[in-house]
Amino acid sequence: MTLAEIAEASGLPARTIRFYIARGLLRGPVKGGRAAAYTEEHLERLEEIKSLQARGSTLAEIARLPGGPAKESVLPPATSWWQHAVAGDVIVWVRADASPWRTRQVRAAVEEFARRVQPAGNEGRKE
Amino acid sequence: MSTALSFAPVAAPTGEPLRLAMQRLWLTGQVLPAGARLVVQHIFQSEEERPLEVIYSFPLPRDAALRRFRITGDGFETHSELKETEEAVKAYEKGLAEGSLSALARQYGDGIVNLTVGNIRPKEKVTVYLEVLAGVELRDDGFRFRFPFTLAPAYHARMRAAVTEGEGEVELPADEFGDVILPRFRKDASSLHEVGFELSVLHELPVEEIGSPSHSIRVRQPAPGSARVALAPERDVPNRDLVLDVRFRETRAQVLAGPREGKRPFAIIVPSTLFGPAAEAPRRTVMLLDRSGSMAGEPIAQARKAIEACLAVLSDQDSFVLVAFDDKVESMHRAPVPATREERERARAFLKKIDARGGTELAAGVREAARLLGGEGDIVILTDGQVYGTEDILAQARATGVRLSCLGIGSASQDRFLSLLARETGGVSRFVTPRERVDLAAVDLFASLGRPVATGLTAEGVQPEPPRFVFAGTPVLLFGETENHGRVDLAWDGGSLSFDVPPGDAETGEAVRLLRGSRLITDWESRYPKEEAVAPLRKRRQSRVAERLLELSRTYGLASREMALVAVVRRAGDRPGELPETRVVPVGMPQDTEFQAYFPHAAPMLASLAPPAMAAPSARKIVFDAGNASIEAAAPVRPGRLTRLMRRAREAPPAASGDSGLIDLAALLEPDGGMPGGSPEERAARTVAAVLAFVAGGHSSASGAFRLHVARLVEYLKSLSPAAGPETLWIGTAVQAASSGKAPEGAWLELARRPGAGWKELEKSAQP
Repeated sequence: MTLAEIAEASGLPARTIRFYIARGLLRGPVKGGRAAAYTEEHLERLEEIKSLQARGSTLAEIARLPGGPAKESVLPPATSWWQHAVAGDVIVWVRADASPWRTRQVRAAVEEFARRVQPAGNEGRKE
Repeated sequence: MSTALSFAPVAAPTGEPLRLAMQRLWLTGQVLPAGARLVVQHIFQSEEERPLEVIYSFPLPRDAALRRFRITGDGFETHSELKETEEAVKAYEKGLAEGSLSALARQYGDGIVNLTVGNIRPKEKVTVYLEVLAGVELRDDGFRFRFPFTLAPAYHARMRAAVTEGEGEVELPADEFGDVILPRFRKDASSLHEVGFELSVLHELPVEEIGSPSHSIRVRQPAPGSARVALAPERDVPNRDLVLDVRFRETRAQVLAGPREGKRPFAIIVPSTLFGPAAEAPRRTVMLLDRSGSMAGEPIAQARKAIEACLAVLSDQDSFVLVAFDDKVESMHRAPVPATREERERARAFLKKIDARGGTELAAGVREAARLLGGEGDIVILTDGQVYGTEDILAQARATGVRLSCLGIGSASQDRFLSLLARETGGVSRFVTPRERVDLAAVDLFASLGRPVATGLTAEGVQPEPPRFVFAGTPVLLFGETENHGRVDLAWDGGSLSFDVPPGDAETGEAVRLLRGSRLITDWESRYPKEEAVAPLRKRRQSRVAERLLELSRTYGLASREMALVAVVRRAGDRPGELPETRVVPVGMPQDTEFQAYFPHAAPMLASLAPPAMAAPSARKIVFDAGNASIEAAAPVRPGRLTRLMRRAREAPPAASGDSGLIDLAALLEPDGGMPGGSPEERAARTVAAVLAFVAGGHSSASGAFRLHVARLVEYLKSLSPAAGPETLWIGTAVQAASSGKAPEGAWLELARRPGAGWKELEKSAQP
């Protein structure tokens, strides 16, 4: 079956099926490219997902149940960082979600540090 | 010296640079007093080795519709087509199967849009410019513009919420909501895409102030009639709506128009002051308080105080009842009771017990409120409006036949729903952010309700129909089209007005025509019967609502749930059949909304222990300049009073601020309009002090949120027959202050609230 055909057969939109694959609920097609194909097994799994959802399971719960594909990589939890390029050969990273007073404190320290690690001959130069 | 600085989100456990599918959301466009014509820039960047399909979900602002989009990238630019939704989905899927870059903007129920861009090639950058029409919240002296940069999670009895990898997920039943995909919600929005804005505010009336209670802004006035408003810092995070307040120096009718195909589309804004004073009649009010879990904290505390202050405006002839709802409805009485002192005391005790908990069964609350009211009077709802299935709630509210007015509280917009709820039932709505004074806004809204200044409005050539009622403070917005004679007659019970429609310019004409279209589409979208919303095409075609929406979409060239926007970009090297990796763009939890209110079983977030990698190849450059965060303004525009008010509220605990003191004072008014006291002298003296306290706080008997309180206090003073002497002088001073808006210096607030205070204390309080 093509994606369009399995969408028609399952009554689920093609985009939802792609979302389930990305979400780790359904295996990808058995071949790649133009020859990408979905089997009866895929269709059964989609029916199973629908039935589990109807019984109150969330997609996260369904993904954890046996019967699905091995869990595909999902985005890990994120943190954000400010990068201070203090010199051509030095970069300092600082957590971006620090409190404003902490950010100010660290920034002052970074600026001091930047002054100290300037290559010889640049110390007095104003940037 | 300075250090070069860049911003680079990374994955906590590995320190690897984080791959954001959407990098930037930037809002530009024009904001007019009748609505906004916006262009939203979305930058998608793939860091994948495979083609990428990105889904970005966002809520529409009030009275909004999508017009078209343009998709650009390296060596291509393509414009969207407007097609019937099922055709558009087919075109998108066909384009995707053929390996072509495809984009689809599709609207679902509750005004949620999925913008899906598929087959973004590895390492490719694609930009989508989406044009959106949106309404504004009108006030007699200006307007508030609101644009959602995030999506609030909401409540539905059949929804499922889960926490996955520290992020909240919400799933809605497909039989009611179709295949809409909602984003994941992150507690911390700082590692998400950057957002910002630069807007032109076009105005004919001179502007008194432009401010924002949500963002730090920079305002410039490059030319008369046009102000540029931009985000002051370089970037911001997607965790709250943009809210802009524009206040004019004068209050008068505005007519926007322009030529188009031999006709003249127009928008007329008629201030409520042109309809005359409100008629006197007893008020019958149900105060309906949302006590759902998402209201926890400051919103519910302020809402409680606000209700107390609103009740203080009522007299013995008025009647009221309090109802609180979450997934249960609790009412204080079985029917409205006279607003006597005892009943207000009981109401206060009832309110003290109200804490935030549970879901938001708004429809059940409205039904109970309507039943209690028995078909006559007003329902005033204080809610964050965070519910799904709003069309169903609207249908139930319309069926009650009762007028609903809404005070929305939230940093992420449910503005579209609450403005519809009020408009469709004949009421008015206001939407405030939790960092503004919710209680002041409630008192202001309450002051305008109960007694309309006009009813029975009719106007030829106007569509949608004029509102059934006009309330003080809220103008009437009329959209229509004239032949080139250029005159519109507006009539109401007991009055009429005529407006000349100027020739205008073609750009304004097109803008008001599109705003009218988006308003009509929003109105009809809200009338979708629940069972038809996700029915198959053949069945839906028989629907009156679907038929009308198709017609409106075609007439105005705007998307609706029946018509969507699609574009397919065919390029050399397209690889048919390759399955793209689907990614849903996460959003930040709205500021001031508790993550636990929706996702109570949240696993603790992983701490970031790993040191970050030393270099992030895709780091974005951010210029860091703290000086930019200040508000710059050129005359005559200056930062808004609301902004200052908000800042003050944030800096000081609410109980310590002057406005909080006035709220407490307002709650003390007796049903006869005077202040309480152990003797007639004490009551009179404290009433004088109360009038002066309100006036000193910027409220007179004609303006300000506490105008009704001032008017009632003055009525009480006028009813007294004091002995000649200082008493008469003081009463005269208070009456004069209430009408002029100017009060002598003095510690009036403290005196008005002090039991036992009399004329002597009044003399002492007056400062030379």
